[in-house]
Parts: sequence; structure tokens; C-alpha cells
Amino acid sequence: MDHPFNYLTLMQFCWSCCSIIGFSIRMNLRGIKVLFIALGAGLNWGTYLVILHYSKSLLLSVFLATLLVSIYCEIVARLVHTPVSVFVTCVIIPLVPGSSLFYSMRAYLEGDRALASHHIGYVFLIGGTIAIAIAVVSSVTLLGKRIARSAVTDRP
Amino acid sequence: MSKPAIKEASEVILEVGRILLASGSTTNRVETMMLKVANCFGYPKTHAFVTPTGIFLTVSDGKNEHRTNIYRIESRQMNLGKITAISRLITEMEKAHCDVTNSKMSVTKLKAELYRVDHTQNWPTWLQIFAGGATSGFFCLLYGGSWLEFAVAYAVGVLVSLSVYLLGKLRLTLYLANTVGAMLIVLFTKLFQVWVPGYLNTDKIIIGGIMLLVPGLAMVNAIRDTMSGDLVSGMARGVEAIFIAVAIATGTGVMFKIWTLLGGI
Repeated sequence: MDHPFNYLTLMQFCWSCCSIIGFSIRMNLRGIKVLFIALGAGLNWGTYLVILHYSKSLLLSVFLATLLVSIYCEIVARLVHTPVSVFVTCVIIPLVPGSSLFYSMRAYLEGDRALASHHIGYVFLIGGTIAIAIAVVSSVTLLGKRIARSAVTDRP
Repeated sequence: MSKPAIKEASEVILEVGRILLASGSTTNRVETMMLKVANCFGYPKTHAFVTPTGIFLTVSDGKNEHRTNIYRIESRQMNLGKITAISRLITEMEKAHCDVTNSKMSVTKLKAELYRVDHTQNWPTWLQIFAGGATSGFFCLLYGGSWLEFAVAYAVGVLVSLSVYLLGKLRLTLYLANTVGAMLIVLFTKLFQVWVPGYLNTDKIIIGGIMLLVPGLAMVNAIRDTMSGDLVSGMARGVEAIFIAVAIATGTGVMFKIWTLLGGI
């Protein structure tokens, strides 16, 4: 298997979607936006897997997947009249490093300090990467809005 | 129609801010929404300063009338449905009533709508609890679990969602609630491992449960607040996210240790 577009990736995509449908119902959302949020979450995890397969770099794939999905959120959230932060909050959940957090705690309890700090390092690296990707998209959007507003007000 | 009295107007504006902030909105959005409502009521020189735990609001018409309120937010509970509903409500009211014809939106109508949004649940509680189970089960599959592990993770997710819901009624602090939640995840998983015949990879089940508690909202809010220039709330939210992560790690660790000390596997 030398290409990532197989049924395994598709199933991962579906499971990511299903779990985020559950998450958004738990967060009291309803309507068509639940489907769009689930689609975004699936897209997030799917892109991450595909880029990870080609680049072999964990942080690059997390960064690019979050970047892509934040742009998706900025566009789709406006179409369905929902705050962008609601979208982004639900959509990034699959990439949040809950597993590294757990593995580091377990390694620490087993007395393996080196493995524990390896995993806790990943918690901060992945968390920080997601943060930077969201920050890039939201600051570019703010800049774009500001430019659009000044273009409107400067018109004679 | 004349504009509403300043006391009445500032009460309604504070109510908008309270619901948004208590549901976990970004502070920038709370400020924007409050200023929009104030503008529609005919108080354009209003200033708002919002931190994650309180609201400072000065309503002023720019001439001789002004009124300052401070409101402290005691309990916060994540509820993205309310944020969406209120944002949509205010945007629609702004479009409908605040145009050139200068017909102000009515205070009583907005108050009624706010009350309705604040007291309606989009889904019944049992469905939300089962949805929590689905989240944890499908995350278990996502990390490579088998169908048996999916079933156990689903049960654990439902039990933990139910316990978190019941713990929420006790009004525990954020840190304690997450610690107890994480402890219960490990406890239920270990108990199922004893009862359920067949091989269970407990790691995947516990990770699926942990994904229910991860501080996604605090993280996103921290970033978006910092980017929009609200440094105080950005820092506060960032520390909140780190604290929740530490709480989850503590909870799992403590329960593992207790289980080992009791002679479990």
C-alpha cells in the first residue's frame, strides 16, 4: 500500500465524523451545522492522515490539516450563520493530543521518565501547532476584514 | 418610538453578555454583541470590557446620561447552542430594526427571546448523555480499537457523561470536576476489563473517554482572544486549558495508582 486513499482512511474519516456528531449534540448544537461540523472534523483527520503518509512529519501534517480546516470553517460558518469559533472548537477535537497526555501519565507511573517526557513534549508541540495554525487563519481573516472596511470608508 | 430608559436598556445588555459569557463565548464576541444591542437601543457611546469572569459595561447616550454596571459570572458551562442562538437573534434584530427608519427594537421582546434561549435545551438530557457515549466510542475506533472495545468505550462514555452531568449539579470547581471525570473513566474501564470476557486494550478505551474532557474550547478561545487583542482573557483561557489538561492527567494517574495498590491488574 503506497497510497493513502484506501478504505482504511475512508473508515477513519467516517469515525471521526460520527464522533464529532456525538460531540456537537453533547454541546447542544442542532440543525444542518452539525453535519457541516462533522464533515469538517472528518476532513481534518483525513487530511492529517494523507499528509502524514506523504511527508512523514507529524507536526507538518497537524499544521497543514488544521490550517485547511480553519479556512473551511471561516467559509462554511458564514454560510450557515454560525459563529466561527463554534465551528473551530468542534472541528479540531480529533487532533487534540489526548492520547499523548494519557501515554505520558502511564509512562510516568511505570517509572519510565524518558518516555513520559517524550510524550509530554508531544502534548505541547501538537497543542502549540494547532494553536499557531488557528492563529494564522484568524489573524489573516481579521486583516482582510480591516482592509475591506477601510476600502469601504475611504471611498469618496 | 422613543428609546428605552437607560436602566432598562443596560439590564438587557448585561443579560445578553451574561448568557454569552456563561456559555463559553470568546470575550471579543461578547463585547461586539453587547455594543450592537446598545447601538440598536440608541446608546451609541457605550463601552464594554469583558474578562472571562466578569463584565464591565458603561451605557451612555453621549450627552448627559450614563450608567455603569459590573457583573460577576459565577458558573460557566459550555453550551455552543446558546452562543449560536443569541448571535443569530441579535444579528437578525439588528438587520430588521436598526435601519434608517430608526424604529428601535423593543426591550420586552428582546427580553422574552433571551429568556426563551436561556431556558430551552435543544436536545433532551438523555440524548446528550448517549451522544457523549458515541463520542467516546467512535474515538476508540479512530485510535484503532476493535468492535468489542467500541462497545465498552460506548458504555464508559455514557456512564462518564452521566456522572459529569450529576457532578455538575454539585457545582464543583472546574479543576476538581475534570479530575473526578478522568478518575471515573479509568475506574469504569478497569471494572469492565474485569467483567467483560475477552481481550480489551484498555489504553484505547481510556483515550476515547479522555477525548470527552479535553479542553478544546478553552484552547480555541485562548487563541482567538489573543489574536483579537484581548490579552487578559487570552492568557486566562490559556492557563485554563493547561490546568484542565493537568487535571485530566492527575485524575487518570491517581486512579491507576489506586487500582494498582488495591491489587488490580
